[in-house]
Amino acid sequence: MKTYMPSADVSTGLVLFPAFDWCISPSHPEREERLLYTKDQLIEEGLEDVPGIHFFNPELATDLDVERVHFCVPSARKLLTNSHYISTGGTIRAARAVMEKEVERSFAVVRPPGHHAMQTVFGDRGFCIVNIESVMVEYIRRHYGIRKIAIVDTDCHHGDGTQDIFYNDPDTLFISIHQDGRTLYPGTGHVYENGGPSAIGATVNIPLPPGTSEKGFDMVMERVVMPVLEEFQPELIINSAGQDNHYTDPITNMNFTAQGYARLTRQLKPDICVLEGGYSIEGALPYTNLGIVLSLAGMDTSHVLEPGYDPEDFRQNHRINNSIETSCNEALEMYRKRHQFAEKFKGQENVVERKQIFYDTTGFQVNQTRVYHLCPRCAGYTQLLAEGLDQHLHGFSIPFNACPSCQQKARDGFAKTKKERGIRLVLQDRVRDLVDEK
Amino acid sequence: MIIGIDVGGTHADGVLLDNGVVKRKKKVAVEARPLEDTLIALLDTLLPDERSRLKKIQLSTTLCTNALLTGDLARVGMFIEAGPGMNPSFLQCGDYVHYLNGSIDHRGIEQKAPDLSQLNEIMEEWHAEGVDSVGIVTKFSHRNSRHEKIVGEKALDIFSHISLGHQLSGLPNFPRRVYTTWLNSSLKKVFSQFKKGIETGLKKHDISCPIFLLKADGGTMPFAAAGVSPCQTIHSGPSASVMGCLALHDNGADDIILLDIGGTTTDIALFSEGIPLLEPYGVTIGGRPTLIRALYTRSVPIGGDSTISRHADGYTIGPRKAGTAMGFGGSTPTPTDAMITLGYMEDGDATAARRGMQMLDDSCSAEETAEKILKVFCERIHDTVTTMVDTLFSRPVFTVADLLEREKLEPNKLMVIGGPALALKEMLGQTFSLPCTVPDDFEVANAIGAARARQTVQLSLYCDTELNRLSIPELSIEEAPGRNFGLDDARTRLIEAVEDIASKQAINAPYTIDIVEKFESSIVRGFNSTGKILSLKAQLRPGLVEE
Ligand SMILES: [Zn+2]
Ligand SMILES: [Zn+2]
Repeated sequence: MKTYMPSADVSTGLVLFPAFDWCISPSHPEREERLLYTKDQLIEEGLEDVPGIHFFNPELATDLDVERVHFCVPSARKLLTNSHYISTGGTIRAARAVMEKEVERSFAVVRPPGHHAMQTVFGDRGFCIVNIESVMVEYIRRHYGIRKIAIVDTDCHHGDGTQDIFYNDPDTLFISIHQDGRTLYPGTGHVYENGGPSAIGATVNIPLPPGTSEKGFDMVMERVVMPVLEEFQPELIINSAGQDNHYTDPITNMNFTAQGYARLTRQLKPDICVLEGGYSIEGALPYTNLGIVLSLAGMDTSHVLEPGYDPEDFRQNHRINNSIETSCNEALEMYRKRHQFAEKFKGQENVVERKQIFYDTTGFQVNQTRVYHLCPRCAGYTQLLAEGLDQHLHGFSIPFNACPSCQQKARDGFAKTKKERGIRLVLQDRVRDLVDEK
Repeated sequence: MIIGIDVGGTHADGVLLDNGVVKRKKKVAVEARPLEDTLIALLDTLLPDERSRLKKIQLSTTLCTNALLTGDLARVGMFIEAGPGMNPSFLQCGDYVHYLNGSIDHRGIEQKAPDLSQLNEIMEEWHAEGVDSVGIVTKFSHRNSRHEKIVGEKALDIFSHISLGHQLSGLPNFPRRVYTTWLNSSLKKVFSQFKKGIETGLKKHDISCPIFLLKADGGTMPFAAAGVSPCQTIHSGPSASVMGCLALHDNGADDIILLDIGGTTTDIALFSEGIPLLEPYGVTIGGRPTLIRALYTRSVPIGGDSTISRHADGYTIGPRKAGTAMGFGGSTPTPTDAMITLGYMEDGDATAARRGMQMLDDSCSAEETAEKILKVFCERIHDTVTTMVDTLFSRPVFTVADLLEREKLEPNKLMVIGGPALALKEMLGQTFSLPCTVPDDFEVANAIGAARARQTVQLSLYCDTELNRLSIPELSIEEAPGRNFGLDDARTRLIEAVEDIASKQAINAPYTIDIVEKFESSIVRGFNSTGKILSLKAQLRPGLVEE
């Protein structure tokens, strides 16, 4: 039979939800218009008619989905809008489509994004309240029993929230490629941030100089990302597919292109992509998103070119080349020496980490102390104390891979702690899949 | 008085209606002679004595559908401008295709002007090879039709027929726009011959009332308009039966499942609050997705004359035709035999039908076998309806409000027409757990549907106030609306455009204009609002003409 539409070599699900009726504020980059032109482009291309490409509407995430990952203060209900439950539910729908074999890969083109939202949430950080891919990861673990998951964050900003959430989880490999924190929000993502005491090497940061283009990303993929993935052997690869590395993005300084994103996706072969940032809503997103979708589906991307695109405009100079090479070498070195770094925590019972977390959208600070209770049999459990905006949190978190003894310790700890007025006391028990509060 | 004629695969049915009452009806075989001759002959038998009381004639025609089936299509030249996006090489539009190298972006902004220096040469060359109809399509031409128009003007002196993509639909979807335009171009010649034939015939019979043609969306359009977009007449068969059932149905506001059960196929349509549901973009014709607005229908390849095969887990019905039922002298059992066996049909030889059931399974009674077969029959239809309702519910939505407010269609009534309708009424009702009705007069439902369908029009308006641009593509309207143009102004402008068509096409009031889609977004550059994007769609609500 004659076919009149090209078909996807790899069946691909698309959760396209621009949320035209939601914004942070009318002129904020995270506004109604953000995915308008992307939607227009994807629909005009006729993707709905491509055999093997399937559109799914998002579902609404539940409070448990969110609180399985986050400690929300004062509560998830009070911090999240319907849009957050929907964009989170969009990633869950994308995951379900893959896990239940409706499709082989999927892409949640949803907003608002999430990769700056940390384990504790007091408000909006870097346009994010819920870490949508982290919620998805724990949803996948809970419902489909997957253990080893890799998250590759290709947003231009460091995925500090995702890093924070999985920092001490040796079963989640988090790789972030981003513009150097010395030149861009949120300022973190240095090579030496390489994981918590039980998960050294499971966090890999590759900061890149402003001006990095196609060649630079190719180098990072070939020299660092792919070899580390090969060694980690994840059961599932997730891509936090931010698109603010684009040369037209107004809030960053990189030089990446739609062709580059398409190539990166083809190399990475992620099972699930989740849109993160990307604020060049006319000049970049329609083309970069299309490039990613077609790449996922194994289709021809050779015509996905920004108007006026000329490869000659994206040559990297010598200085940038060297800087990228150095970054790759350092990141690889950190990863190779991970066992050496882990040595120094041997025999310790707990490790205390203090952090000040700045919430930029409304401008306040949270002081946080996180205690990693270590264990020779597992990655241990975590205790958290945080305060900001005159609100207090005391949390216990049992990861999905905690051993029975650590589970019990955390539960006992929670049971023994006296509830004090004005402090939210929460047990997050991922093994029993419940969130308890006194 | 109205005459309605529905042309089917083998027969054409006609009715003369007087205030909704059937005054005359006539069925004729569709022979090989030109369709227009058959139609004129049929028309002649339906004409009222008082010629002046005849207000209009409405036809459904299979002309274009048949032309497609038999490949009787004109040689078409296509000018296609794809711009950035999917590699357009998959588009199949015959041997005369020229890709324009310009581009228009998602906002309708020209990013690159196409190189036109070779056009004249190409056009002359194609024309010399027998191409007389061309289609011109650019990506995003529903936002900005300038490139289509420029090329169209150059083609004007060379070709007899020109189809521009943006005029055929205001909806997005470039591949569908290309195929719609290609189809339209390839039908123009055969349609214009048909039109001439009908006009000559009417003149001979001294008929001067207006003629309307049925479209795939359950509505009609004037004959003249069909000359511009003959593709709209493809797939109008389901429109006739769906609108006919609506006419035979007494309570307008139900959520209805409509089944038209034939010899080897069962067609399914859905109504929400008495209004037939439409495809989101358009009908797929011979594998080509199009923007031809059409009713949301599905066809299941089972009917009264389908084959029955038995296997380990039960029976499969269809998809082939078994021939005449044994109860009517055939030699292989069919679902019709099961109906006869169970006493659901008055006609037919019950002994022969029972023998058919025994042939399929001699370990149980003929009644039991018949029951099993009809159960499979009804469940197959039920499954397809369930899928249709689910598909409808999962159509993509893009706003929080739409996502939270969408509701699944919950049909409260089943309506069945076609040969086996009465025989299956009870069992279908049980399978769907719904009240089931079979309207009287259903054998002329299609002709009644053709007679009473209303004119339909859909228009889209897209406005970008930052660029100071407004377009209504279907009418090739492009205006400068001014910076302060708002959603209410857009609504008013669009309704005005619909009313303008209504008056030009002499559509009698009362008609209802629905705004079926309304979208507004601010354009923000830097920290300032620099304009608005407004997008609306309006339609003349499909329905029935009260005489
Ligand atoms: Zn970002
Ligand atoms: Zn342990």
